[in-house]
Amino acid sequence: MPTLPLWAVWVIKAAVIYGALLGVAALMSLAERKVSAWIQYRIGPNRVGPFGLLQPLADGVKFIFKEELIPDGANPFLFRIAPALAALPAMLAIAVIPFAGEVELFGQRTNLSVTDLPISSLYVLAVGGLGIYGIILGGWSSNSKYSLLGGLRAAAQMVSYELSLILSILAVVALSGSLDLRVIADAQQAPDVLWNVARQPLAFLLFVVCMFAETNRHPFDFAESEPELVGGFHTEYSSMRFALFFLGEYCAMTVMSCLATVLFLGGGAIPFWPEAPWWAALACFLAKMSAFLFLYLWVRWTLPRFRFDQLMNLGWKVMLPLALLNLFATAALIALEVY
Amino acid sequence: MVIVKRRELSLAEKLYLPEIGRALSLSLRAMFRKRVTRQYPEEPLPTNEVTRGQPRLVVKDDGNIACVSCGMCEVACPAYAITIDGGETDRAIEREPVRFDIDMLRCILCGFCEEACPKDAIFMSNELELADFSRQALVYDIEKLKRPRSALQKRIDYVYRLNDRWRKPSSTR
Amino acid sequence: MTKILLNGQTVEADPKKPLIAACHEHGASVPHYCYHPGLKAVGSCRICQVEVKQGEMPPRIVVACRTPVAEGMIVNTEAGKAHDARRECLEFLLKNHPLDCPICDKAGECDLQDYAFAENQGEGRTVEPRRKLEKRKSLGDVIVLDEERCILCSRCVRFMEEVPKTPQLAVVGLGSRSTIATFMDRPLKGNYQGNLADVCPVGALTLKKFRFQARVWNLRKSLSTCAECSRGCSITVEVLRGKDVKRFRPRYNDKVNKWWMCDRGRFALERHVDVATGTTAGARIAGALVRGQGAQGLEPVESELGVAIAADMLVAHEARTVIASPFLTQEEAEVLLRVARALGTTPVFVSPAGDGLADALLHTGDPCPNRRGLTELGFGAASAADCAARLAASQVALVVGERAGELLAAELAALGASQRVALFDARALDAVAVKLQVGVPTHVEKSGTWINVDGHAGRLTIARAAPAGTRALTHSLQQLDTLLAAAAAGSATTAPAGGAR
Repeated sequence: MPTLPLWAVWVIKAAVIYGALLGVAALMSLAERKVSAWIQYRIGPNRVGPFGLLQPLADGVKFIFKEELIPDGANPFLFRIAPALAALPAMLAIAVIPFAGEVELFGQRTNLSVTDLPISSLYVLAVGGLGIYGIILGGWSSNSKYSLLGGLRAAAQMVSYELSLILSILAVVALSGSLDLRVIADAQQAPDVLWNVARQPLAFLLFVVCMFAETNRHPFDFAESEPELVGGFHTEYSSMRFALFFLGEYCAMTVMSCLATVLFLGGGAIPFWPEAPWWAALACFLAKMSAFLFLYLWVRWTLPRFRFDQLMNLGWKVMLPLALLNLFATAALIALEVY
Repeated sequence: MVIVKRRELSLAEKLYLPEIGRALSLSLRAMFRKRVTRQYPEEPLPTNEVTRGQPRLVVKDDGNIACVSCGMCEVACPAYAITIDGGETDRAIEREPVRFDIDMLRCILCGFCEEACPKDAIFMSNELELADFSRQALVYDIEKLKRPRSALQKRIDYVYRLNDRWRKPSSTR
Repeated sequence: MTKILLNGQTVEADPKKPLIAACHEHGASVPHYCYHPGLKAVGSCRICQVEVKQGEMPPRIVVACRTPVAEGMIVNTEAGKAHDARRECLEFLLKNHPLDCPICDKAGECDLQDYAFAENQGEGRTVEPRRKLEKRKSLGDVIVLDEERCILCSRCVRFMEEVPKTPQLAVVGLGSRSTIATFMDRPLKGNYQGNLADVCPVGALTLKKFRFQARVWNLRKSLSTCAECSRGCSITVEVLRGKDVKRFRPRYNDKVNKWWMCDRGRFALERHVDVATGTTAGARIAGALVRGQGAQGLEPVESELGVAIAADMLVAHEARTVIASPFLTQEEAEVLLRVARALGTTPVFVSPAGDGLADALLHTGDPCPNRRGLTELGFGAASAADCAARLAASQVALVVGERAGELLAAELAALGASQRVALFDARALDAVAVKLQVGVPTHVEKSGTWINVDGHAGRLTIARAAPAGTRALTHSLQQLDTLLAAAAAGSATTAPAGGAR
């Protein structure tokens, strides 16, 4: 293996990770249709490529060649930039996910993540929270009542659930004493330490629920909610910009799955095999991530959508008190040195 | 007016989570059930003698069609899909169609022609596929409608059985 | 008049006619095969049985066609016993009748079908094979006989004896082998054979020319008048799918033709078969045809423009003549008369020589269906030679009406290129003198009136549409009249097309 300068290794790492992210997002569009088909006793797309694997490619080609429409009275600048604003934050957030520990690549020792930040969990939440701007702006700039309502709902929902999300993460952070995701992941890899899912089951539960709400996925997809709002915030979008919204959604789902893996399932940790090589850890990480992604799809095709007041009730009257309680309990347990 | 009293939810139901678990297990099990999708062009529709496909003209074993162009199907046809012109023939039946067109675009596959036919000359085949590049090509003439009796035998037997059900037992033949 | 009680109603009946005639006249439907109002009643088929009570006698079943009407008769056509008797009679008639309705041309207008249906006689009890006789026996050029279908009502035999009075048919053989036949199997002769197919209540006698041509329920029937002689028999024109004229059939008209018509009129279908429009001689004219300057070809133009050109032609020259076709209706002739007056001429109509088919029954031998009407309007009759002289003497001629070009084909062809003829005819004609031709509908495509030789009016109705672009002749002539009047008033002769409407 030739030795490359450090910057080149970083570029390669970034290219591979972003390529993989886009690949996963593309595959998710296929997986979504496949899983829905299986749950409904159908077969799903199977015409393009083996098992329909090239379907995302065909869809992409189709999206690119579709005519793009901008409605009368829309704000053209915001209308054009909104999909990018929706997709970009999710892609940025993936930068700090620690996929595996230190590896030797092209003669350089490096961590298998795009970058490492000491406050990476804060970074993920901060950047991930920006994604909502794309949706709000897309909804507002479309000059359509459906889009506007979809955007507003997305904003309200984000505010309600971001709190619980952060509080549930905070419990985990308190437990490991660091905001660095790598530290949080590594802390769970010790042989005598349980994964956070076992030590913080309530936080895990809250996180998973908020994860669905944060990515506007069923049963909390009020920003789209086809039966009421036609298509919600993306009603007026077409062509590749429409696809970009979905790309952003799938990227956000991937990031959230990675985050859940790191925070609660110990990242790449394999039980009873502490000295597993880095590729095995990576594979384990991806498997855990895939399980969360599958959960997204599985839930979507199983549960009906909430009503909006139920969503708000749940967010403010159940999730938030529980998250606060959990945080205080965790703090108390740490203070009492139970953990 | 009916007042519907809703059932009080149990604690487990109020908690959502057990119910969600139940739903998830249901949909997970559904994933391993037998698929109902039919891969259409490769797996064509199953047809049997009850299938009412496009009408076809019976070619008898002597090579002639059984039709005598009596026009019963033309009259019975609710979609005006059938056009018949008669002509004279030296065969014993005296009369045969010189033109027998069915506009398959008009045909609604109702089977009235089959029922109306006094000569057992037209039967509903199991052929259902219909596609072409021009409308004119879908106006089928005699040559396109001809099918050997053997190809329609199952349907013919079925229609006979069906008719026998309604036949009065006192009938002499 | 005799009073009888028919189905509970007191009605007046003609004592000279049989009971069945009174029943039919007063709306009681009594089936009948051998009985025909135009023929002597023989009472051979026995289908017309009704219940009659006379005096103190108990009611009994009698055949209505052979029972004279008597004062105080109580008739019940719907009695159960009468129906039973008819059903029994039908069962015998159907015993040997081949069930080949799908093939039979009579199906749909067959009395045997209708009455079997009406009397609910749907099933027979015999298991023996039906008799086998000749299915396709030619009786001359017109009629083909199916011996199996015949129910031996003898209407055809009586028709030949009584109407054209040329007895040629007879019932021969005994019992179930009885058939209709001609002596020594000679072909039928005469001009009235076609009526045999009409009088035959079943499909035994059918027309060779109509054989398997159409199912009768697909024919749209329009009332009309026969064009083949000045008798003007009342007919129905029967058209298949709005296009093909398939049959002319006589229609009962007591004053003119009773129930009959001659074969010449019945089979005058050929000229209605080909309706293809075009510019070649013999094709139907869609709008109008103009002969180009010097060029031989005919150029199609709109009908309105054609009439305007005709007006210009007629105004531009002094020596004019107007010749009408004998097929002009009264309505058309009246407008033409105005046009002729405006042109300062007296119109004549072509009167071709007789066709030599005249007989004592219907055919007059005069091929002009509206001779009397045109004469009464002031048209003079002109032979072909007369017409030729008139055409030769004129600079410009207006020849109007269906078949005018056909009747004067030789005379028009003889004219030189310096002469001008405006021809209003259904079919195109290629003659140098005919500068302009305007299409007109034929007599099955227009409505109007003809006056027959005895002064009876015969109506024409539109049985099928004329070729697209062809206007009614009255419309064209009205336009011509308006244009001529405008020219006479000194204004522009080329009025805008269609202004005449």
